[in-house]
Amino acid sequence: MNPYLQTIALLEMSLTCAVVLIVLLQKLSSIEIPIFARLALVLLLGNLFFWPLGMSLELPLSAYVRGVTGDLSIVSMLLLWGSILPFAKKTPLGFKVPVALVAVLFYPLALGFGMFDPYAWGYGSIGFLISVILFATFCGLAPWTKGVWIFSIAMIAWAAHWHESANLWDYLLDPFLAIWALFATLSAIYIKRRDKAQSSYLFRAG
Amino acid sequence: MSRLLAFCFLLLASVLAYLHIDSRPVWAPFLVAHSVEGIAGSELSRDLTEAGKSVKELKNIGLVKTAQPSLRMDWLPDTSAPSVHAASLIPLKNGAVRAFWFAGSREGAPDVVINTAVFDSQTSRWSSPTVVMDRVRAEKGLSRYIAKLGNPVPARMADGRLQLFFVTVSIGGWAGSSISSVISDDEGLTWGQPQRLISSPLTNMSTLVKSPALSFADGRLGLPAYHEWIGRFGELLRIEESQVIDKRRMSAGRGAIQPVVFVDSAQNAGAFFRQTRSSSQVKQIPVSETKDSGQSWVTAKDLEIPNPNAALAALTLANGMKLMVLNNIEAGRYRLVMVMQEPHSQQWQVIQVLEDDASLVNGLHREFSYPFLISSNGEDAHLTYTWDRKKIRHVYFPAAWFQYAASSLKDKESQR
Repeated sequence: MNPYLQTIALLEMSLTCAVVLIVLLQKLSSIEIPIFARLALVLLLGNLFFWPLGMSLELPLSAYVRGVTGDLSIVSMLLLWGSILPFAKKTPLGFKVPVALVAVLFYPLALGFGMFDPYAWGYGSIGFLISVILFATFCGLAPWTKGVWIFSIAMIAWAAHWHESANLWDYLLDPFLAIWALFATLSAIYIKRRDKAQSSYLFRAG
Repeated sequence: MSRLLAFCFLLLASVLAYLHIDSRPVWAPFLVAHSVEGIAGSELSRDLTEAGKSVKELKNIGLVKTAQPSLRMDWLPDTSAPSVHAASLIPLKNGAVRAFWFAGSREGAPDVVINTAVFDSQTSRWSSPTVVMDRVRAEKGLSRYIAKLGNPVPARMADGRLQLFFVTVSIGGWAGSSISSVISDDEGLTWGQPQRLISSPLTNMSTLVKSPALSFADGRLGLPAYHEWIGRFGELLRIEESQVIDKRRMSAGRGAIQPVVFVDSAQNAGAFFRQTRSSSQVKQIPVSETKDSGQSWVTAKDLEIPNPNAALAALTLANGMKLMVLNNIEAGRYRLVMVMQEPHSQQWQVIQVLEDDASLVNGLHREFSYPFLISSNGEDAHLTYTWDRKKIRHVYFPAAWFQYAASSLKDKESQR
């Protein structure tokens, strides 16, 4: 097992916490935060979360967050980290909808609805791996090249046992990614319906 | 161009992932500790260790005709903690037995620690208790916040080292549990850094352990675990060092947790559960069976012994005799009995009533719960159970006691 596994996990969580705060800050701010300011903030906040602060806290702040969330999937982390980079494009709906559909089926089954457990596929099912490769290929043809990179890195991280989990699912999907994909999908459906209703109102027959 | 580069990287990742899958061990048959056919009919050892001065002796009052060998009963060492629970045991290489249990101001309190002590079978005395794990040590080793500790379950690894699995909770009640483990190279005197087992896709929440591990023929461990949040069901985790490398569901729904497994052969095993069904459903022991070394499980007909939503303990002796300790009532945990099933028999019979106290204390029944059974030589048995959350009772069943119990049952049947 990787001797630096815990340190790496805390470092990842610290960066993730920093990026989440910056994304929230950007949402609240009316002006675009310049890239150098974002990177400086990542550095500052990342250190704040990574190092033990002492006082009455027994652990670094990121360890408290990790206690609740566990390790995020590689896909979640890379999407999140990538969102503060310059020229970051919106993640396509062609990625969000399949993730939402998979999550809706996967979580109830994995959490005990029936005897069938798709989570067990993640320990070493060739069929599951082929499905992931095909989905990554689909992302590339969509064309969403970033998706190919993200899925490839997730697979390599799994093969290298980068996190505590030996299950490929944990490198691809987590509840936060699932909720985000689900909300994004529902929101897209709502916007599409609203636009359709508005256009039919504007151009209805006289 | 960038897309071509991405596809090349995907190809590389795919090859690495395939090689990783290819290197994973295949599912192995169960390791059968004792061959029933080979040992059946052989004489059980009649050796009885001298009872120690501090040990209380108890004659079997239910089945004894004459001179039944005595059970030896004592308590796990007092730690002055007001609440103790979930004791477990493992035989050591020198013939002693090491116990683990959790103790604190109350179950689930932040001050709960996992204690250990060693029972010397020569002197029949317990060593002074020491702390294996506390909340702060667990959270520092696991690099994440831990709110409380829970059930400890020891196991013997194929290379001879001791491994202690224990439950930790970071958020919420026991439903928010995860399993971690520590390994000892010196029979439990010192322990390594705790490692987290990942067994659930929902922030790794809600996996607990209570029952002893079983072994696979390839040396890896099978850990019967359970979930008790959205679903309440059992799972068999396949463990390599401190890592879950595969798992299989043993039951589904919300009615069966804390599986104990009887391995009958390299392929066949049966699991018995603590029932957690709704009040309208039957309060009996749920059962699952496997015929492929635990790769797939099917639910079977309930074992028709009442179960009040309480844990069971299970053990197979070298002669094939199966034992369980359980609360055979539908509500409360005030009665605790040992039941036995002889080889090639389907019938479970009570061979010892360990506790039966229906009296009320402050309007509540006493609780005798969380039994844990092991054998140090395949012929005897050590039992621990929680005694009203205040103490942990330890009972030693010598080999001759089982022999006498079995012959008494046969006599009883022949008289019918």
